[in-house]
Amino acid sequence: MRKIIDSAIETIIFICGMLSIVFVVLIFGFLFKEGFSFFRNFGILKFVTGHFWYAASDPASFGILPLILGSTLVTIGACTIAVPIGVMSALFISEIAPKGIRDVLKSLIELMAAIPSVVIGLIGVITLVPFVKNIFNLPTGLTAFSGSIMLAFMAIPTIITISEDAIRSVPWKYREGALALGATKWQTVRRVVLKAAMPGIIAATMLGIGRVIGETMAVMMITGNAAHIPHSIFDPVRTMTATIAAEMGEAVRGGMHYRSLFAIAFVLFAITFIVNFMADLFLGKNKNI
Amino acid sequence: MVNKIEVRDLNCYYNKRCVLESLTINVIQNEILSIIGPANSGKTTFLRTLNRMNDLDATYCRKGEIYLDGEHIFNMNMENLRKRISMLFAMPIPLPMTIYENIVYAPKRLGLITRKSDQDAIVEQALRDASLWDEVKDRLNTSAMKISGGQQQRLCIARILAVNPEVILFDEPCSGLDPISTAKVEESMIELKEKYTIVLVTNNVKQASRVGDKTAFFLMGKLVEIDETDKLFVSPKEKQTENYITGRFG
Repeated sequence: MRKIIDSAIETIIFICGMLSIVFVVLIFGFLFKEGFSFFRNFGILKFVTGHFWYAASDPASFGILPLILGSTLVTIGACTIAVPIGVMSALFISEIAPKGIRDVLKSLIELMAAIPSVVIGLIGVITLVPFVKNIFNLPTGLTAFSGSIMLAFMAIPTIITISEDAIRSVPWKYREGALALGATKWQTVRRVVLKAAMPGIIAATMLGIGRVIGETMAVMMITGNAAHIPHSIFDPVRTMTATIAAEMGEAVRGGMHYRSLFAIAFVLFAITFIVNFMADLFLGKNKNI
Repeated sequence: MVNKIEVRDLNCYYNKRCVLESLTINVIQNEILSIIGPANSGKTTFLRTLNRMNDLDATYCRKGEIYLDGEHIFNMNMENLRKRISMLFAMPIPLPMTIYENIVYAPKRLGLITRKSDQDAIVEQALRDASLWDEVKDRLNTSAMKISGGQQQRLCIARILAVNPEVILFDEPCSGLDPISTAKVEESMIELKEKYTIVLVTNNVKQASRVGDKTAFFLMGKLVEIDETDKLFVSPKEKQTENYITGRFG
C-alpha cells in the first residue's frame, strides 16, 4: 500500500513537472503551424524586413520591421531606466537601509508589482503623456519614450525583488573577508557582493526584460500605435504585442491578416526565446568563477 | 621589546552583556601572542575588536582604549586600520573570483599597485610567502573556490601578505584543517613573525605552546594569566590555567 502511494505521488509530481514543457511545445507548435502557412504565402524575409504594415489595405502589406523596431526601442529604453534604478534600489535595501525603512520599502515594492498594467497605462496617459509633450515640445506625448518610462515602472519591482534576494544571499563572510583586508564598504559591495550576486541580478534583469517585451496594455495606451519606422525615441511607435491585441478582433478568422498576427506572435516568441537562451549561456559562463 | 599594541582597560558588550572585562594587555612587536581559553571566554571578541570588525555588529559596544604604535585605534579611519591590522578567519574565506584576483583584490583597492607590470610579481611573492606558489602556479586563473580547504586558507594568508600589514590576527586558523595543513600554516606563522606582529587565537593548547612567544589565558571574559609561553606551560601561576592546559577542564 505504502509503495502504491509512493509511486502515485511520484507520478503526479512527474506530470506536474512535465506540464510546462508540454505547454511550451504546444504553444510553439501552434504558432508555428499558423505562422508557417503565412510565411509560405508571403515570404519570411519580406515579412521581417518589410517597411510597411498595411494589414487592412488592398493589396495588403505585411512588413513588421516598424513593429520590431518599436518593441526593441521601447524595451531598450525601459531597461536603460529600470536596470540601474532596480539594482541600486536593491543595494540600498539590502546593504544600507536600516531595518525599519527596509521593511516599509519591501512591502511597498511588492505592492507596486501588483498594480495591473492597465492602471499604469491609465495613469501614464493622464499624467506622463502631457508632461512629455510639454517638456520636450513635441506634437504628441504618445511616444516610445513615455512607453519606456511606464514599462520601466513595471519592470522595476521585479528587478528589485529578485536582485535583493540575490544580494542578500551572498554569504556575510565574503563581506567580512573583503573588509578585513581594508576594503571600503563601497569597494566590498562593488567587487565582491555584486560579483557574487551577478547571476541572480542577471536573472532579475532577464525577467524584467521578459515583462517589458511581453507587456501589451500599457504600451498600447501610451506609445501612440503608429506603425511606422521610428527615427528617434520621441516618435510614436507600435509594438508587436499591441498590434496583435489591437487587430485580433478585426481580422477575419483564417484569413491572411489573421495568420499574419500569428506570425508576429511567432517572431515575438522567437525573440524571447533567444533572450532567455543568451541569459542561460551567460549564466553558465559565469558559474565556473 | 617594543609594544606594538597596547590595550588599556577594555570592556566589550553584546546586547549589554559583558563578554570582556577590564582587559589590559600588550602585544610586543615581532612576537606571536597566543590566546587560549575555552569557548565564550572572549578571545574572538578581543581579536575582532582589534581591527574593529565588531563595529559592524549593531548589538556590540565597547569601552576602553587600544593603541597601535601609540595611536588610538578608535579614532583611526577604519579602512586604514584594517590595512595595518589584517585578520585571518577560522573558516577560509576565498572571495568568489580566481586565485589571481583574490590576491590583487585588496592591493588594487588600496592603491598599492601603481603599475600593472608589478602585479604578477606581487602575486608570486605573496603566494611564495604563504608557501602555496608551487601548488597553484599553473592554475592562477581557476576559481579560488575549487582548491582544497588548506590551500584556501593559505591563499587567504597570501592575500593578507599582499597588503603588507603590520599586525596579523589569526582567529583559530587551523580549526578546519588536517594536521599536515596545520603544520604548514604554523610554519608560515613562525616565518611571518620576522616581519609582522601576530596575535593567534586558538582552541588548540598544543598549538599555542608550539608557536607562541607569549601565551595568554582567557576565562569567562577575563585575562587570567599572561606569560612567556615556556613559563606559562611549565609553571603556571594560577590554578585555573594549570587545570586548563593540563586538560582537566575546558
